[in-house]
Amino acid sequence: MAEDMEQLYAERLKRYVAAMRNEKPDRIPIRPFVAEFTAKYAGYTCQEVTHDYEKAFAAACKCAADFDWDAVVANMVYVWTGLTQAIGMKYYGVPGIDVPVDTGFQYIEPSEENAFMKPDEYDQLIADPTGFLFNVWLPRVSADVTATGEPTSYRSNLSFLKGGMAMLSYFGAFGTQNARLRCECGTVSAISGILKAPLDILADKLRGYIGLCMDLVERPEKVLAACEALMPHLTHVALSGADPEKKVPIGLWMHRGCVPFVSRQHFEKFYWPTLKPIIEEIWSHGHQVLFYAEGKWDTHLEFFAELPAGAIVYHVDMGDIFKAHKVLGDKFCISGGIPNFLLSYGTEDEVRACCKKVIDGVAGDGGYIMDAGAIVQNDAKVENIKAMTDFTREYGVY
Amino acid sequence: MTEEQQPRPKPGVCIPWQEKLKELPEISGDEQLVRRVWEDIDGLAYVYIWQCLLSF
Repeated sequence: MAEDMEQLYAERLKRYVAAMRNEKPDRIPIRPFVAEFTAKYAGYTCQEVTHDYEKAFAAACKCAADFDWDAVVANMVYVWTGLTQAIGMKYYGVPGIDVPVDTGFQYIEPSEENAFMKPDEYDQLIADPTGFLFNVWLPRVSADVTATGEPTSYRSNLSFLKGGMAMLSYFGAFGTQNARLRCECGTVSAISGILKAPLDILADKLRGYIGLCMDLVERPEKVLAACEALMPHLTHVALSGADPEKKVPIGLWMHRGCVPFVSRQHFEKFYWPTLKPIIEEIWSHGHQVLFYAEGKWDTHLEFFAELPAGAIVYHVDMGDIFKAHKVLGDKFCISGGIPNFLLSYGTEDEVRACCKKVIDGVAGDGGYIMDAGAIVQNDAKVENIKAMTDFTREYGVY
Repeated sequence: MTEEQQPRPKPGVCIPWQEKLKELPEISGDEQLVRRVWEDIDGLAYVYIWQCLLSF
């Protein structure tokens, strides 16, 4: 590695970590979570970066190098549909197959009747979550895996073999990609490891949103017990993928645990009591968690403020970033807050004005990371991403 | 989380070593070596299913 590139990497890592620790770095770090935008910029289709992860890696590196960003996700187009197709996953809309070639991949939620977990199966999940996933869930989400008790098949056997080999291939390639970002771009890999809240997992992949809403009313004790049964597993998975150097955070992808998807009472009874102990456990191991609060979570800020200082980085999507800073800013770093619609439909001047407003209101004492509100897809204008980047680099110097 | 609160099988485990051990003849060699390798590979299966759920 060129010495100057290593020096650049070290400077950026120091800047990024200082901000995440709610300290004041030399300038505001820029860490855009760019997904299908990378394809648009690098000249690929959504199909190419979704179905060929080497192209996704190349696109991420090109953006990191050309925009000179401090940190990026190694591949924010995180789903490799080659892998999901090998397993036979039913719930993806794959670019170029199920959706147009230049549309990002989609999650297809089944109808309430076809939920991947039935309402009378809570006890099975609670008794043995891992066994339930292998024996009940996987045969339902895969077109190839046969259910327990049914005759096995060539396709079922191949699903495990191809899926396992593909996962090793994909996850193994991230080590090379992170090294490439460091050596070729001097850019930090922004996160390490994955976490989701128990209630979100129930809604996203098991009962579906409508099914879960019914369960919150009809069998609340089962929902709570299921969330509690998932907690140690989600904690284990998060810690097993965490940064061993404890510098970059574990990503928590927050989906439908907030008002109005659930009521404030349901948040207080189900979502938060089964997420907070996970965060505290992770923090006791010295790892931060990035709360990637998709949508609006302003109603719940006071709960997040209960966490130990420094335990999280709080990312703002459509919420009020100034309110988030007021409630959480003393304890936690804030990131994001630049609306995606502005990056897609606004002018460069409007983007610069928004960045100035956010920086003036939130970043005065450090503890802020520049980013869009949500993951940036291929509808964002290149000139607006450049305006966000260049303005922050010039104006965000302490 | 305390030991009592841990579910069975524990996180990271699909088929516990103690269950596998019952299937094996008496181990004349290094049992800890056999156990470690069993648990390491068993853990990969655990990663597979939980990553299918969480990441894909």
